[in-house]
Amino acid sequence: MSVKYIPVQWNRFKWYYDAVLLISVGACLWLFINVTPGVLSHERPIDPQVHNARAFGVCAFLMLSVILASGPLARLNDRFLPLVYNRRHFGVLACFVAMTHASYIINWYFNFSKSNKYEALLTANTSYGQVAGFPFETFGIFAIICLMILAFTSHDFWLKFLSPPVWKRLHYLIYIAYASVVAHIAWGILQDQRNHTLTAIILGSAMTVAGLHIAAALKERREKDPAAQAATDGWVRVCAADDIAEGRAKIARLSGEERVAVFRQDGKLSAISNACAHQNGPLGEGRVIDCFVTCPWHGFQYDVRTGQSPAPFTEKIPTYNIALRDGAVYVDPKANPPGTPVDPIPAEAT
Amino acid sequence: MTTPELVFLIMRWWLTIGAFVAVVFLTFGVDRIDEDARGAYVFRPLLVPGILLIWPLVLWRWFRLETGSGLEPARYRPVRSAHFITSIVMAALIAAVIFIGLSQRQSWPSDFAPQQLSAPGE
Repeated sequence: MSVKYIPVQWNRFKWYYDAVLLISVGACLWLFINVTPGVLSHERPIDPQVHNARAFGVCAFLMLSVILASGPLARLNDRFLPLVYNRRHFGVLACFVAMTHASYIINWYFNFSKSNKYEALLTANTSYGQVAGFPFETFGIFAIICLMILAFTSHDFWLKFLSPPVWKRLHYLIYIAYASVVAHIAWGILQDQRNHTLTAIILGSAMTVAGLHIAAALKERREKDPAAQAATDGWVRVCAADDIAEGRAKIARLSGEERVAVFRQDGKLSAISNACAHQNGPLGEGRVIDCFVTCPWHGFQYDVRTGQSPAPFTEKIPTYNIALRDGAVYVDPKANPPGTPVDPIPAEAT
Repeated sequence: MTTPELVFLIMRWWLTIGAFVAVVFLTFGVDRIDEDARGAYVFRPLLVPGILLIWPLVLWRWFRLETGSGLEPARYRPVRSAHFITSIVMAALIAAVIFIGLSQRQSWPSDFAPQQLSAPGE
């Protein structure tokens, strides 16, 4: 949460996260360059530039695999949520590691071409009409462009400017980029790999990512938020008031992707949008303390009575008018403008 | 003109227009559409690479926010339903590219003399 934008937001947790990240990347590179170079088919004489290029390439792939695995892991078990918390720093670093890999390749294999080295990259292999020998560089170029778009639009400004749904759609590029990276490797280094430790690492990582995504998608489909039931006056029934535990919420789908979260705080009920203004995180899965709910994804806070973040922060989310009828909670599905105060209602009929 | 030359010509124009959009947006536009950017200048250079790459999207959002239509209720409707199909498609793509890639290995499952698949490039 910020009042004015700054280049990079850090807190104690992010410092630890980034420190662990940098140490892990350094260790990964050191391992592949110095300890087990044979894993990268270095048993034959090889130039240091190629040596480094392969190490950075494997490191970027492993980083992307962890990034892609962290999302479904957090959906399967919320103990993995801390991995997601600072994932954008992870992604930016992965992009720079991948760019370093590309830089080593271009400056070694194409530096002495007759034409511009970047044009030579596109002309060295143009066998697009065949599967065997397909120019695997194309997959890598596509993935690098995707990673650059994602890394360069990772600042919080972009989330607010583009809006979380547009930003998320743009960042869905990571999925196609990852598949493209796997293709780049399968059509590239794995064609000539003699030491199959790397083959096992690559296949294991890629299939783990694929398996986790399928498992998380199936779980999400099974445990879908219930739909609110339409009433005769245009309002909708969310749940019985007794179903809402103190300090917690019940979530219900309204229309399409819109969801309402009804909270109980000190025996009173309030209804706000379930989507955090930052990244549309599920506010209804957060806990209310002193009227403020904390988003489980990145810690943004909102007053459940007003939909406003505590001063001096400026984030706002829509609120809903709420009523209690025969022990059941009803809300008006027409959301109030973000930040509109709504008086909480008693959770039990008086 | 060769295909790579055309690709790089388009890239140069894309980035040139993006640079123009970045200068105008970061000098005048960003203060008009985002209160959190007013008086904050150090973060702005960080936005330049992103604007260079996706300037048409920047122009579209800038127009929407200038005309007041960018603060729509859709901001609070997460794109969760697309997640299921995206996950399945990515998993299928990963399995397919691994299978197709490895099935093309000339030295799989045992070594044999490599064959030249196409003429060398430039």
